[in-house]
Amino acid sequence: MLFVLFTVAIIVTFDIRVLLPLMAFPFAAIISMKPNYKPLIFLFSFMFVTVGIIGTIMLLVVSPDVGMTHVGSHTVIWQVTDRLYVTKETLWYVLVTFTKRVASFATVIAFVLMTTPSEFASGLSFLHMPYKVCIIVSLAYRTIPDIARRFIDIRNSMQMRGVELNSKRTSLGKRLKYTGAMLVPLIISSFGKVETIANAMDLRGFGRLKKRTWYAEHELTRADRIARAFSAVFAAAILFYIIYTKIINPYPVTMWCPFVKLENITKINVIDTIFFMKWFD
Amino acid sequence: MEKAAIRFENFGFQYKVQQEPTLYDINLTIHKGEKVLILGSSGSGKSTLANCINGLIPFSNEGTITGSVTVNGQETRKASIHELSKMVGTVLQDSDAQFVGLSVGEDIAFAMENEAVPRSEMVPVVYRHASVVGMQDFIGAIPFDLSGGQKQKVAIAGVLGSDVNILIFDEPLAALDPQMGQTAVELIDNLSQNGDHTIIIIEHRLEDVLHRHVDRVILMSEGRIVSDSTPDELLQSTLLHDYGIREPLYITAMKYAGCSIAGNLNLCDIHCIEFTQDNRKKLLKFFDGEPSVPEPCTDEEVIRLEGVDFAYDEGVNVLNDVSFSIHKGERIAIIGKNGAGKSTAAKLICGISRPQKGKISIGGKDAKNLSVKEIGEHVGYVMQNPNQMILKDTIKKEVEFALTVRGTDPDEIRERATAALNACSLYPMRNWPVDTVSYGQKKRITVASILVLHPDVLILDEPSAGQDYKSYMEIMDFIEVLNREYGITILFITHDMHLALENTDRAIVFSDSRVIADERVFAVLANDEVIRRANLKQTSLYTLALRLDLPPEQVIRRFIEHERSVKTCE
Repeated sequence: MLFVLFTVAIIVTFDIRVLLPLMAFPFAAIISMKPNYKPLIFLFSFMFVTVGIIGTIMLLVVSPDVGMTHVGSHTVIWQVTDRLYVTKETLWYVLVTFTKRVASFATVIAFVLMTTPSEFASGLSFLHMPYKVCIIVSLAYRTIPDIARRFIDIRNSMQMRGVELNSKRTSLGKRLKYTGAMLVPLIISSFGKVETIANAMDLRGFGRLKKRTWYAEHELTRADRIARAFSAVFAAAILFYIIYTKIINPYPVTMWCPFVKLENITKINVIDTIFFMKWFD
Repeated sequence: MEKAAIRFENFGFQYKVQQEPTLYDINLTIHKGEKVLILGSSGSGKSTLANCINGLIPFSNEGTITGSVTVNGQETRKASIHELSKMVGTVLQDSDAQFVGLSVGEDIAFAMENEAVPRSEMVPVVYRHASVVGMQDFIGAIPFDLSGGQKQKVAIAGVLGSDVNILIFDEPLAALDPQMGQTAVELIDNLSQNGDHTIIIIEHRLEDVLHRHVDRVILMSEGRIVSDSTPDELLQSTLLHDYGIREPLYITAMKYAGCSIAGNLNLCDIHCIEFTQDNRKKLLKFFDGEPSVPEPCTDEEVIRLEGVDFAYDEGVNVLNDVSFSIHKGERIAIIGKNGAGKSTAAKLICGISRPQKGKISIGGKDAKNLSVKEIGEHVGYVMQNPNQMILKDTIKKEVEFALTVRGTDPDEIRERATAALNACSLYPMRNWPVDTVSYGQKKRITVASILVLHPDVLILDEPSAGQDYKSYMEIMDFIEVLNREYGITILFITHDMHLALENTDRAIVFSDSRVIADERVFAVLANDEVIRRANLKQTSLYTLALRLDLPPEQVIRRFIEHERSVKTCE
């Protein structure tokens, strides 16, 4: 639940004063779990390159004045050509959106690391999903590594029989074709497993009662109660924040910026505050 | 009179999708607390019989039942699969697929979850059941990190419900390496002694099951019970031979020596078998005499590994300073327990993985400069499960595939495919759809589809897995022909000691990422130290040698020699 709230909060706000503390939470959570940092660092740097660098360059090229619409002023700091210039506001905009993305990304990672799939499945059942749906989620998680392993085996055996899957030597079309051919043995060998799994479940009484319990489920501990109370407070705070900034005391533009004084704002962007969709930038 | 746990009366069963019944006239009573082995080759109906007890028949697999079967006095037809699951626990053959939970604890709890037992009650029960099978320290472990044997233990713990008093094990040894198989047999035996469980084991590997005591052996063939006797009685008869079941090696050895089997007591256990005076003499005479010294193979080298290191993750070497060479026309067993590095070595030879250190030569050339495809023309790799290799719909297309992707000339494709199909005796079936043939035939297809490339070396991964003795023998005979007539070097990756003993000349033994032995098969099998370190199981010939106070190497060598001469005579 806290996860959903967090995501909403991060999506809603464009205010870096709110974003930074929000970002600290998932990072603290990730660090407290002491995960294997290698893949995480890879993921983050991948995101940094694609979203951060490429995204920024594209943005500067396509609409260099985007900061204007969000922050409400226009201070050119580097004029490259007529159409290509960098404004302080756009840079600020880039910084804020980037922070926002990192924050949401970190939240997702924290969530994934925190919950095992079966906790997730039992959590779903807590939200009154039918348990057969939940077990499908859990079984999917269970079988993914197996299927991946089998896929690698099949690919290896194909390569040994002379199918070239090296991207440097074969065209994409051909590689796609062979990958399609690989699905045949993959599906056939997986079907055999499905029957065994179904039998194994039947033999242990699956589907007899209308409800079932979950071994991976957690009884509510004190920490859970605190977390719940915290979520409630947090939700209220966000709600208040939205109402306050948008309705009671609307800030003239979507974004707060430290070096733009309120009176300097030349363009007031009312439409943005009405079309809430704009938040989902 | 003991109470009957299971009683079949004039029972028959026919699957809905099949023309003929699978079971006929079954009359069988299994008493409470008994430990029964149901023996039979594939397709004999032994698994179907078990499924009639646990309720998969008729509730999951539909069909027509005649006669009656009762479990604890209750007619199964009138019960439900869930009621039966409370009395009968079934451990399936595929220990991986039946693992439905995401962790050990969850899998053990699965049945209780379905009973909607509150979590607080589940936790201690899970711990107790895990302790029964010795998995209490692994409750949080995920299936990916478990070995086949551990998964099986979890499966056993998962069916130990409170009212379960009948346990069915469907081919419990099929997916395990020898050492684990032995542990599994011991574990099953402990269950039968501690609790008042009735135990039914379905297997075709008689010798491995007889490692521990079994009350009764029921032999099935073509849907009928052909014998119901004690293990001793069965071993004395000729039924095993008649119905295609492998008899224990020491029994074969005794027969070779001309012993009369009938007079010996405790025949089913090599450790306490009582040889008659006459038989002892015969055995000693048979194993006496210096066997001929085999000539070392000096043909050209086809594969050579020098100081090869390999690691998937940095720092954790899967292979450590591995060196060996393989000569043309040799038959070699690469043995070792699961995870010892033998499959990785095969991957390196095929070029799928590349060594971090050291050198691999294929046909005299440095493999570093060869692509996987080029190596594939020298070394063919046949996977354990043929279903994972077959890509095309008809046999002919499948066999031609490797040449088609290379863009070979159509006439040459036809010629080479015909030759490969003939070599595998598949030519008359060439236009059949692949999915209509048996498992053993599929295996042949995969071999044929490699043979079209004219490889010098054929690597077979666990060729005996999942097959009964008869189809195993067929495949081995066929491989033997390939080796003899086409001079193809054969590499078996296996943990089946029987296979190594009967079909190879040399064994390379892996243990903990190193090669710990590279010697003649009989020398390896006679070396207790190597066998123990590699976590393999001694064959009963070794024990037989100890019982006769003879050097094991001599006994094993003599046995192999005799067996091969018998084979050539046939």
